[in-house]
Amino acid sequence: MTDILAEGAPEDVGEPLVFSTTLEPSRFLGLSLKNGLLNLITLTLYRFWGKTEVRHRVWKGVRLNDEAFEYTGRGVELFIGFLLAAVVLGIPFLAVVFAIQFGAEWMAIFLFPLYIALPWLWGFGIFTAFRYMASRTTWRGIRFRLKGSAVNYGWLFLGIGMLDGVTMGWFRPQGERMLAERIWDEVRFGDRRIRFRMARSQREGIYGPFAIGWVGSIIGFIIAIFVFGAAIVATGDFQSTAGGPPSEPGILFTLTVYGVMLALSPFALLIWAPYHAALLRSIAAGVSVDQATFRLDVHALSLWWLTVSNLFLLLITLGFLMPWVQARTARYLIKRLKADGTARLNLAQQAERGPGSGEGLADAFGFSAI
Amino acid sequence: MDARFYDGLTAQSHAAEVALDGDQLRIQADGREFVWRLKDLSVEIEADQARVSNRRERDARLVLPVGEWTPLAGDALSDKVSARRHREYWLVGGLTAVAVGVVLFVTVGVPALSGPVARATPVSMEERMGDNINGQMSHVFPACQNSAGQRVLAQLGDRIAAEADTPFDIRVRAVDAPMVNAFAMPGGRIMVTGELIRQAATPDELSAVIAHEIAHVEQRHVMQAVWRNFGVGMLLDLVVGGGTGAGQQAVILAGQASELSYSRAAEAEADARGQALLHADGLSSQGMAPFFERLAGKGHEVDEAAEFMNSHPDSSRRARVARAAARPGRSALTPDEWRLVKTTCGVEDSESPVDSLKRRFRIGDHDARADERIEVRPH
Repeated sequence: MTDILAEGAPEDVGEPLVFSTTLEPSRFLGLSLKNGLLNLITLTLYRFWGKTEVRHRVWKGVRLNDEAFEYTGRGVELFIGFLLAAVVLGIPFLAVVFAIQFGAEWMAIFLFPLYIALPWLWGFGIFTAFRYMASRTTWRGIRFRLKGSAVNYGWLFLGIGMLDGVTMGWFRPQGERMLAERIWDEVRFGDRRIRFRMARSQREGIYGPFAIGWVGSIIGFIIAIFVFGAAIVATGDFQSTAGGPPSEPGILFTLTVYGVMLALSPFALLIWAPYHAALLRSIAAGVSVDQATFRLDVHALSLWWLTVSNLFLLLITLGFLMPWVQARTARYLIKRLKADGTARLNLAQQAERGPGSGEGLADAFGFSAI
Repeated sequence: MDARFYDGLTAQSHAAEVALDGDQLRIQADGREFVWRLKDLSVEIEADQARVSNRRERDARLVLPVGEWTPLAGDALSDKVSARRHREYWLVGGLTAVAVGVVLFVTVGVPALSGPVARATPVSMEERMGDNINGQMSHVFPACQNSAGQRVLAQLGDRIAAEADTPFDIRVRAVDAPMVNAFAMPGGRIMVTGELIRQAATPDELSAVIAHEIAHVEQRHVMQAVWRNFGVGMLLDLVVGGGTGAGQQAVILAGQASELSYSRAAEAEADARGQALLHADGLSSQGMAPFFERLAGKGHEVDEAAEFMNSHPDSSRRARVARAAARPGRSALTPDEWRLVKTTCGVEDSESPVDSLKRRFRIGDHDARADERIEVRPH
């Protein structure tokens, strides 16, 4: 394996990297309808094949130096991954449920390892999902691959989650960078190493935007509590239960609460948009291959608009337009992805085939990068 | 020709010349010739590019402008497209068949199996489950403190249960909870909330509720529901995975709706059997209908049209059925016993839910001592 950075090879040998996209999100409308309908009639079992088709079409719409990426995964591989995960997760879960429900009361202690195991397993599942996706992504006929340890990633994921809780979220920004490092520093294009340099990533500040989101959320919560309190008092819901048993909240009240939350979501997304944009820029800045470094020119307002409009499209179509949303998100990112410097990608040698199935655990936890 | 060839071994791009030779494609790239049979090829068209791959050389790719590929290959690969579509039809057909099987199993198989499985569940197993649930519930809903009232309630439960065909010890107790409800747990424990006792206008109403819960225990409805929920929940969770998409939520909701319909059937059965238990002991079953009517009048009611959303049948309808089957009989409790029961949870008529919650969580100056809480054991 070679690494240009390590060898200090001359810069002029490689090629500059230019990303482009031929994605037209509106062309995903038919696919969206097809996947949505087939998911309904198959109780969502079609989702593995639907997701594969979406990736297939998104990947081939992304080009590097006018050469399209290719997704070579198959739906049946995801389906097998799902069946394997059902066994791996299902059997211990059943055992614990039976032990707790029908066994002695002390058997509830089995829940504690489960609390540790689940976040770890979640991280493990995310890593193996990326490993599978990398192995099914090719460019110029050469596969990507993700080396590294899913077990260690699981522990890192668990540890960051705990620190995140202890620090009331303030560890999250650095934690995201650490997780990104653990993925990107292990990615290979064939045998060519892709790097993640934490120092470069940290040059793109994210704690200022994070503070905006964090403080804004606290203020938002306080205002929301006052508004809800005032609304409850004003509508007399509180008094109406006095002297009688408390009634369950009416469907109108529930719908109102969801409606208000929905109406407020653009504001919540707005205060977090600077952070999300900065995080994307920071992670892209950390990635390099040979002498080439990357920039993602994503800014808060455009990202906010993308997110809000995606949310709106998904809500009014009950999720049917997910492929469309994924295509326009990919297009948005690729159009803003730039590279400086050069890389000797033409020297890449083919990588091994990678895992035979994939993403079952990630599917069980509802995680999907796309 | 502006074609590029990748040999699948390195990412090096090779300028290529491509020609069709009968049913073969001849590719000249950097002095090497590759012969690909058309029947092994598949092509992806995206914007201005055609990317050709060969299933016998899985990693190699030929990339050329669409304008050069189309005249070259014509419709030579069109049967590939129809074969792919054919495979997709089979896939969708197969998955749909599996989905129909799952739906049938959830709506017919699991409910049909839940009765026999519940009856086959060893009594000791159900009792242990009941003990575990009781341990958890007792923290949330502690027993009310008036031991004399609890004793009367427990005796009432024993009396009605004497006519029930059940291997379980029926243990009725009043619990502190800010809602009108009664629960039967696995293994024969029954909880009646203080609010329900407060809402009951006569001993007959309270005994009707307790008889209803005893009927649940006798019919092993709780265990049936446990197995039904377990079977349906596991199966649907398995099918939809952890996804939160609309389709996945729709499947879960449909499963819950199916469960609710069986829950309503069990409630109706417990109403009828509960009345029969009262009759068997010579007690009046005339309290059931007025209690349901009072519930209906207190805003606890759901519209009949929305009944499918609820685990219990519409109260007005239940009242009508109960009234038709009601028979007069002895009162379940003497006036003195009734007074004791009414004070079991120390709830005054004027107490608001806020005061009740304050008392429940010992906020303010209410003098509630945990060590006074008792649990009614079988007599």
